[in-house]
Amino acid sequence: MIDNGLLVQMLLGALLGLSVYLPLAAGQLSLATPAFYAVGGTLAALLSTRWSGLGATADGGFPVPSLLLELVLGGLLAGLLALLVGRLVLRLQGIYLAIATIALVEIVRVAILNLPFTGGAVGIFAIPQPFHDASGYLLPALALLALAGWICQRLEGMPLGRAMAAIRGDELAARCLGIDTTRVKLTAFVLSAVLAGSTGALAAHFLNTWNARQGSFDASITTLAFVVLGGSRTWLGPVMGGLLLTALPELLRPVGNVRLVLFGLVILLGPVLAPQGLITPALLERLGGWNPRGSAEGRQEAQP
Amino acid sequence: MIEALLQLLLNGAASGGVYALVALGYTLVFSVLGVINFAQGALFSIGGYLTYLLMGGRIGVNGALPGWGLPGGLPFALALLLAAAGSGLISLLVERVAFAPLRRRGAEPLLALITSLGAGVVLVNLLQLLMGAEGYAFPHGADALAGLPDVLVIGGARIRTIQVLLLLISAAAVLALSLWLERSKGGRALRAVAEDATTAQLLGINSAAMVRLAFFLSGALAGLGGGLIGVSVSLPGPYFGIGYGLKGLAVLVLGGLGSVPGAIAGGLLMGLAEALVPSDASGWRDALAFAILFVVLLLRPSGLLGRRTVEKV
Repeated sequence: MIDNGLLVQMLLGALLGLSVYLPLAAGQLSLATPAFYAVGGTLAALLSTRWSGLGATADGGFPVPSLLLELVLGGLLAGLLALLVGRLVLRLQGIYLAIATIALVEIVRVAILNLPFTGGAVGIFAIPQPFHDASGYLLPALALLALAGWICQRLEGMPLGRAMAAIRGDELAARCLGIDTTRVKLTAFVLSAVLAGSTGALAAHFLNTWNARQGSFDASITTLAFVVLGGSRTWLGPVMGGLLLTALPELLRPVGNVRLVLFGLVILLGPVLAPQGLITPALLERLGGWNPRGSAEGRQEAQP
Repeated sequence: MIEALLQLLLNGAASGGVYALVALGYTLVFSVLGVINFAQGALFSIGGYLTYLLMGGRIGVNGALPGWGLPGGLPFALALLLAAAGSGLISLLVERVAFAPLRRRGAEPLLALITSLGAGVVLVNLLQLLMGAEGYAFPHGADALAGLPDVLVIGGARIRTIQVLLLLISAAAVLALSLWLERSKGGRALRAVAEDATTAQLLGINSAAMVRLAFFLSGALAGLGGGLIGVSVSLPGPYFGIGYGLKGLAVLVLGGLGSVPGAIAGGLLMGLAEALVPSDASGWRDALAFAILFVVLLLRPSGLLGRRTVEKV
């Protein structure tokens, strides 16, 4: 049923869900996650094969410290791109922002397909392996997810996270309160990109081959489905959504190739049937009084 | 030299006409509801495949019913018309499932973007289950053009007849729609709902019916575009409409959200711009629309012919 390979994929899905969640927590619907994922993955694939090799051995092995370096570099490059693009697109709102981020995904996809050094439609293959089998990837994926989750959890008690929530509630009101909305939105966008970039770098090694299809409009839909299913009110929602929706198609494999029909149905019916997603703050409170907001203030609100 | 340029421009105008159809479809729904129907690309695919089936094409080996096809086969014009109507009907279904429940609840309009995206994904993948992922060429090809020669010579330039037909049919559809919106009672009612649904309702216009009409017309335009592209090029797989749908978005923004003349001008401009990409950079052609989209969003978010809206508190 669930083997180690699938577990790693599920963790990667959860990471991408978090990447879509971060801008959304500041009220910005960005579909750009696959673009940053593709950028991080492409960088890692190039670094470990065509460019320097970073110590890749002749039999296809790869030192673990180099992998960690790639995670950092992939995240940095994606973050840098987000910083450049975000300054421009985050002035846009609602539909315009969604369209602009779709355009970014398409531009990055076409660029990876056509640049002279990214391997064209075939892509880059035989990416060296830092671990002997899939189970080796569990630890770094889990560690990345724990780190991302910890940051999201911390954010909720920090001024930045509160500013994000304020913008989500009412951007104009937040601006009137003196919140530098552009800066807050940009920070959320860059964080989301760094996370997607690092995830891409890890995924490139795990998948062994990397091409332009990794960051397509399809992927925008898939990652959006993670958040819609799990819910975007707490960071646990997209994590659950990513885990579940990555596992489900594999478990349903006997039914046939209905993966995307399933994702489509989730996005189509989710907002109608369960507008808040599966994981809501109220649910978490019922499950043992754990407060997802993680703040003293929140706790007081919970027990009036 | 001049001939080559003329040929280039005519080809550009022909694909520009199809972009204009898709963008007009978005425009109709956007002006009435203020949201974008992301299922438009899927309806484009459906139009192409319906035209194929109605003209007597058979389902390939990877489809759900291999070898099945409609008995006989209709002439191209009739098949195209019926396929457009069929896409319009499916668009009504999309409205019912993806838009109406949210509207009744008074939910945030941005949610409709997500649900319509879901509707599009479901439709395209159902199409794939039915027809398989393989490409299809049209059964009749040149016969479909009812005795017209394959290639026309216009001012010394050789251009495929189907390209000229493509341009003429999309121009006729666009013109008919604009005239209808401008002159007829129904068109005025639709524009009244777009302006202010509540007031229109008070004046005795059935707003709900107008919303459905907008969805039907927008789906029909997408279906028409899909049928035309299918006949003139081929059906490379159920996903082909998604690409046109995304480019239609770029055209929509280029022309200005909600502007009918903007959608037409934007479509033509985009088609011409793509035609002028030199052939050794053709791999980058697909990125051009989005690069233009980016520039427009940054320099003039209201588009070429859109109205500037003032944000109110």
